[in-house]
Amino acid sequence: MIPLYRAGASVLHRSPTGAKLIVLAVVAVVCSLYPHTALTALIVLGLTLGVFLIGGLGPVAWLLQLWQAKWIIAFLAVSQAVFLGPVAALTGTVRVVSVLLLAAAVTMTTRTSDMIDAIERALRPFRRIGADPARVAFTASLTIAVIPVIGALAAQIREAQRARGVRLGVRWIAVLLVNALRHADDVGDALTARGIV
Amino acid sequence: MIRAAGLGVEIDGTRILEAVDVELPQRRIAVIGANGSGKSTFARTLNGLVLPTEGSVEVAGIDVARERRRARDAVGFLFSNPDAQILMPTPSEDLALSLKAAGVPRSERTDRALEELERFGLATHAEQPAYSLSGGQKQLLALAAVLVRAPRVLVADEPTTLLDLGNARRIGDLLLGSDIEQTVLVTHDLDLASRCDIALRFDDGRLTDLGEPRDVIDAYVAEFA
Repeated sequence: MIPLYRAGASVLHRSPTGAKLIVLAVVAVVCSLYPHTALTALIVLGLTLGVFLIGGLGPVAWLLQLWQAKWIIAFLAVSQAVFLGPVAALTGTVRVVSVLLLAAAVTMTTRTSDMIDAIERALRPFRRIGADPARVAFTASLTIAVIPVIGALAAQIREAQRARGVRLGVRWIAVLLVNALRHADDVGDALTARGIV
Repeated sequence: MIRAAGLGVEIDGTRILEAVDVELPQRRIAVIGANGSGKSTFARTLNGLVLPTEGSVEVAGIDVARERRRARDAVGFLFSNPDAQILMPTPSEDLALSLKAAGVPRSERTDRALEELERFGLATHAEQPAYSLSGGQKQLLALAAVLVRAPRVLVADEPTTLLDLGNARRIGDLLLGSDIEQTVLVTHDLDLASRCDIALRFDDGRLTDLGEPRDVIDAYVAEFA
């Protein structure tokens, strides 16, 4: 689940988006390389909690993000524990999860529209090779906005199956795809009608 | 003024709209008819979402097929399903997107968006995920996103279909009470249609009745009696 912006006035909220993304990239690299013992893994995890506290998001939001990443954590921890041992499993899992947590902290303290503007600015040099920065950035934000809608479409299919006492098995993916494409048609009309394209 | 002359639409070999000739100077225009009668297609020709295959349509002095960009700026369109119309994760960002499309400077967008949300009673939801709003709140947001661009004409395609009675009444009041030059309401809500200045009825792609809303509605209802 991609977390959404939470209004606030913390240092993270007030920092320029471009700078935040650069710091995220640097810290993410450090977090991916530094953990090599159980202690350093815990230090990195503590660092991510610190970032959440600085952003005024609180420890509950941090725990919630960990909970939402539970399947990733379980998969990484178990598979690495089997093949590499417990310490490697801990450090390897923390490397990935810390980056996810830091990315969550950035999205929770940055408006999507600011993110779009930052992406647009970053992509400007690629105009020379025919890229359209505004379109790329808007596509990214539209994707974020549409995720809950696709989730709702999937829930509707599940409810319809229960209500009718049928099970589609893997075919439900085809139904979801058809409904998603219909929604995409409607969104296309809305983009045109709202003068966005 | 809305003017259609010999307007016809054919999509994938199927005739959807045929020989519509009408001049509409009225401020509030209701469009009624059965499902598949062509009323939504007629509405979509008004801002260029559907282009005529025959004849022409003119809205606010703009030939829609020839000047699509100008037509879209002049004609706002509200869909029945707000989920398709809301394009950004939060209400304030969605309104800011409309303002960006309207050429409003970045520095003014956030304040203008909040003002508009206040006007529609959505200010407390400004930073909430848009998907968590109720159906009525979503339709209010979609309407706000259209009106913030100050269109000269507003076309609403079944805007109250998915709403409960209270929200349908509220959206209806906002649509009919706005100070826009012309509002076109495609609707199955005959009470809402009766509050307009004129009603059009479509059947099988043809404009079959036009006049005082009460008369057009009574004739329509009589067929099902």
